[in-house]
Amino acid sequence: MSAAISVRHLTKDFRIGLRGLKLRAVDDLSLEIPRGQVFGLLGPNGCGKSTTLKIVLGLVSATAGEISILGESYATSAARRRTGFLPEAPYFHKFLTGRELVRYCAQLSGVAAGDLDAAVEDALGLAAMSEAAARPIGTYSKGMLQRIGFAQAVVHDPELVILDEPTAGVDPVGSAAIGRMIDAMRTKGKTVVLCSHLLGQVEQICDRVAIMDRGKLVLEGAVEDVLARRDRHVLTVEAMTPAARAAAEAALEAHGAKLTSVTHPRRSLEDLFRELVTGSRDA
Amino acid sequence: MNASLRRTLWISRVTFLEAVRQRFFAFLLVLGAAMVLSSVSLRVFDFGHGELKFIADFGFGGMFFFGSVLAVVMTAQLFFSEIDNKTALTLLAKPLSRAEFLLGKFFGAWAVLGVFLVVLAGLQGLVLWAREQELIAMAEQSGKIPATFSVLGLGQLVLMQWLRLGVVIAIVLAISALARTFLFAVVVGSLAVVAGQLQWIAQDAFLRPTDSQAYAAFLWVSTRLIPNLQQFNLADALVLGSAAVEEGALIAVGFSGLAYLVAYLTLGALIFRRREI
Ligand SMILES: Nc1ncnc2c1ncn2[C@@H]1O[C@H](COP(=O)(O)OP(=O)(O)OP(=O)(O)O)[C@@H](O)[C@H]1O
Ligand SMILES: [Mg+2]
Repeated sequence: MSAAISVRHLTKDFRIGLRGLKLRAVDDLSLEIPRGQVFGLLGPNGCGKSTTLKIVLGLVSATAGEISILGESYATSAARRRTGFLPEAPYFHKFLTGRELVRYCAQLSGVAAGDLDAAVEDALGLAAMSEAAARPIGTYSKGMLQRIGFAQAVVHDPELVILDEPTAGVDPVGSAAIGRMIDAMRTKGKTVVLCSHLLGQVEQICDRVAIMDRGKLVLEGAVEDVLARRDRHVLTVEAMTPAARAAAEAALEAHGAKLTSVTHPRRSLEDLFRELVTGSRDA
Repeated sequence: MNASLRRTLWISRVTFLEAVRQRFFAFLLVLGAAMVLSSVSLRVFDFGHGELKFIADFGFGGMFFFGSVLAVVMTAQLFFSEIDNKTALTLLAKPLSRAEFLLGKFFGAWAVLGVFLVVLAGLQGLVLWAREQELIAMAEQSGKIPATFSVLGLGQLVLMQWLRLGVVIAIVLAISALARTFLFAVVVGSLAVVAGQLQWIAQDAFLRPTDSQAYAAFLWVSTRLIPNLQQFNLADALVLGSAAVEEGALIAVGFSGLAYLVAYLTLGALIFRRREI
């Protein structure tokens, strides 16, 4: 089966100003995103992640290169019907309630009238937005906006879900909740493309990552492969004494191995935070 | 119902809701209504046809002017609020064509202007009818026969004005599809409306013989590119039955309006297809 998304030698120049100065946002990018995995697209601000996704979705035209999405050579309406998209910094019609918005998006995405109510409630439930769904979107917090954005992206049960910074502006508890939603999508066999600056979370939930810099691809691979340092090992020891340490060092040296560092394992700030805090009020 | 038509209707429904919840709509509606109602106080002391016509001209003038402002500013605003707030990004990533999106905007805005016209014309009709009753009562005493106000004529006027505003909305959408900013769309859209109202001058000039080929070509292009918006005011005369308007003339204006409307929407959809969101 073909890749969920494939991008070949993609280049995008934006013209800026009246003099037509060119800004190369994406530079000869080639990338394959396999199906059924969570794929992290990483890189510093302005490296061209969002632009790449918009080109794939047909919202912006490419200057050069080719794409394919779910087996189609451009984002046809058939391909878009099977895709869900949460744009970065999402903003929705603020006079609609959360439920009205998700319903509107479900209708536009071709959900059959008979399945509409169930699909809307499922998506709201998945995004933990059932309670706030009757409120107008204008009253939502940033985290709620991201979650209602997630709900509208998955309401039509798409095969491919593209999330552009779903955790921007969301507190750690909310981010963890979004992480679990992504995990749930993977369990259902969906493909998820995730842009995020939360590297800790990306490391935990992504199967593969690609890192971009200045429009170019600098690294791509399975998280296990790109992160493991196969020439180093970590041993975690309990009830260590100076004598035990000296003995261990001597034993290792006898086999030609060398102990290079001894530290205390740390828990992450995120873990600590989540241990101490129960949750935001609208979570 | 066809899926494409349904998507268009959903877009127009949300567009309509967005528009009627705006203060701008309420503001212009109140201004227009105030103008219509203030025409009650107009008294020309000939107690007859002149007075009703004076009231009608004043009220319809307000409806015409504020309707045009609403059609230009609100349409551009409805379009650019989706682009600037990036809601278009969410919507156009769905299985929805750009043409359906633009048509949805069109029908939403057109429906809002329909409400605007019906409310103001209804008020104007009440004002005219009430004054007519007074005049009839006076006429019985003085023996003068006043003009009669025609509800059918009023309906025809509303239809004609609605069609005129539909053409304006289609023009503003085509301009918005091309424009980078809301301000540009409003300024160029307003100029287009003024040009449309004055188009008959160019058309008159065109009928006169001229030596200059370039001038003739300019007139030919401008009289076809820009619709004659003045022609829709033809129906104004029907309200008081003051002038005879042939059915054929009305139908011809209707068809020409529809043709311009379709042409500008098609042009807008073609431009919008290439726009980067
Ligand atoms: N419509 C546009 N016109 C001109 N330049 C643009 C446009 N959109 C993006 N750019 C430029 O293209 C580059 C890439 O932008 P892009 O939004 O793809 O970055 P990103 O990787 O998503 O960054 P971030 O992490 O901040 O979201 C940036 O330098 C940006 O300024
Ligand atoms: Mg981005």
